[in-house]
Amino acid sequence: MSRSLHILRAYITHYLLAWLASRSFAFTLVANQAVTPLIGLAVWSTALPGANLSSYYLALLVTRLVTVSYEQHTFSGRIYSGELIDDLLRPHPAMLATLGQNLALRAWHVLIGLPAIVAVLLLSQASFALPDVLLAVPALVGAAALQFLFTYTLALSAFWTERAHGVVGIGGTLVFLLGGEAVPAPLLPDAIRPLGVALPFRAMHGFPAEIAAGLLAPDAMLVGYGWQLLWLAVFAIGAALVWRGGVRRFMAVGG
Amino acid sequence: MARIQAEHLSVTFRAPVREAGLRAALGSLVRRRYRAVEAVRDVSFELQPGELVGFIGPNGAGKSTMLKVLAGVLHPTAGSASVLGFTPWQRDQRFLRQIALVRGSRPLAVPPELTVLDALRFQQLIYAVPEQQFRRNLAELVELLSLDPLLERQARGLSLGEKMRAGLAWSLIYRPAVLFLDEPTIGLDVGVVTVIRRFIADYCRQTGATVLLTSHAMADVEQLCRRVILIDHGRLVFDGKLAVLSERLAPHKLVSLTLAGVPAANLASFGEVVEHDGALVRLSVPRGDVAALTARLLAALPITDLTVAEPALEQVIGTAYGGRARESLPSKE
Repeated sequence: MSRSLHILRAYITHYLLAWLASRSFAFTLVANQAVTPLIGLAVWSTALPGANLSSYYLALLVTRLVTVSYEQHTFSGRIYSGELIDDLLRPHPAMLATLGQNLALRAWHVLIGLPAIVAVLLLSQASFALPDVLLAVPALVGAAALQFLFTYTLALSAFWTERAHGVVGIGGTLVFLLGGEAVPAPLLPDAIRPLGVALPFRAMHGFPAEIAAGLLAPDAMLVGYGWQLLWLAVFAIGAALVWRGGVRRFMAVGG
Repeated sequence: MARIQAEHLSVTFRAPVREAGLRAALGSLVRRRYRAVEAVRDVSFELQPGELVGFIGPNGAGKSTMLKVLAGVLHPTAGSASVLGFTPWQRDQRFLRQIALVRGSRPLAVPPELTVLDALRFQQLIYAVPEQQFRRNLAELVELLSLDPLLERQARGLSLGEKMRAGLAWSLIYRPAVLFLDEPTIGLDVGVVTVIRRFIADYCRQTGATVLLTSHAMADVEQLCRRVILIDHGRLVFDGKLAVLSERLAPHKLVSLTLAGVPAANLASFGEVVEHDGALVRLSVPRGDVAALTARLLAALPITDLTVAEPALEQVIGTAYGGRARESLPSKE
């Protein structure tokens, strides 16, 4: 286990340096990630001026940057090009390189996005209570893990289809619609709110933001953590099974 | 115990196909057609520890696919294999630490901004090579492959030959016991090819590594391998000594003469005239008749020089790739 952590740390360091060379592109990625929460903040502040969702959307901005995942680009492409061979030849779990790149990208997103976070904090009416922020930290870690597992599992569709980008895109759309970005879960219609709470999408984005913004009662928080843990187990097992099935189909034939 | 053992291995994959044109392209969205491609068909062979075997065949024969199956990268459709006592496609970490697959098309599979030494240090970490052993291995590889000027250079700036040398060091820094070399000299100039060949031979001799080498450059095979496995259309056609393959596929030798004057006798009466350029004559003669014919030539013709040579290996193997091999060769020697 410690050897895997050593190797993971080496991959993170390596990809941090690699993305230094592509920092201008990283800026555009961060801008792309920041747009949706900022639009949500503007829209809901206008639609429900008394609701004060500034804290929620600022926390959502942070959550987006911390949970960002691009495995349809960083990993599916390696399946299509045959470069996955390099990962399969190494004496460690093939996922480590992908995870290392994911964590390095997230670090860059937070670093580059920090000025925007500070600006929104100063310019909006967002305010946070320290206990709420501390209670949200485990949820944020869980959301980061869940988003990676979710995107990685969808990216594994590259073993079966040439449309992995589309598959992951559909997943991204579901996260946007049901994950608390288009509509915060507490504002969902009564008929579908229980579904929105139970599905994995809120656990990836909206759940940590709701805790940090003080929008959840303790019992609702516990239920949310329960769902997050359940989905983590589902996608961890799912990713392992899909990987096992997919790697058997991998056909980088030819020289 | 054999170090590499393949038994009735087959690899079949489905390749999407469609006709040309927009209509066919749109139709394929609704109904996709596939063709089964048998890349490897029922191939069996063994390599003993320390063997350096050439794995040859025409383009698309299944050589690279076979190497990838034995390296654990691909799953076969049928059959079994054992490399160092492991089933390759189970990808046990103890197995992966002892093998290397070096591809001429991508010898140094590292991010381009890393320096060569960065890449070697990364391999040290991945393969858990102790520091002292790493320094010792590095020193040997630097000397054998003349890597000193390259260590601080980024991978992106290396030429193909430099990438191949760095790539060999990168793949061998942890001293694998089994090497799969897939076209290691492809696209390289004569000087670098000589270095690579010498290095492979030295590495095998020093470490006792078992090597399976594919190459279209027959000189690689001729200089490095006593034994060859010939594969064509996915099937094993020949497995045995290179000399035997040459004899079976080319039952003739080439007798070259330099004449002092115009020959009185008809040259065709001595054998098939392959070339006649002024005083230089080349005859193709059945192997069994060479000694007797040489005596007749020396007695009948004004000869100033006479040599007997094997036909060029490229020509011999070209014959095999042309399909004659399947009819003329027993599969194992």
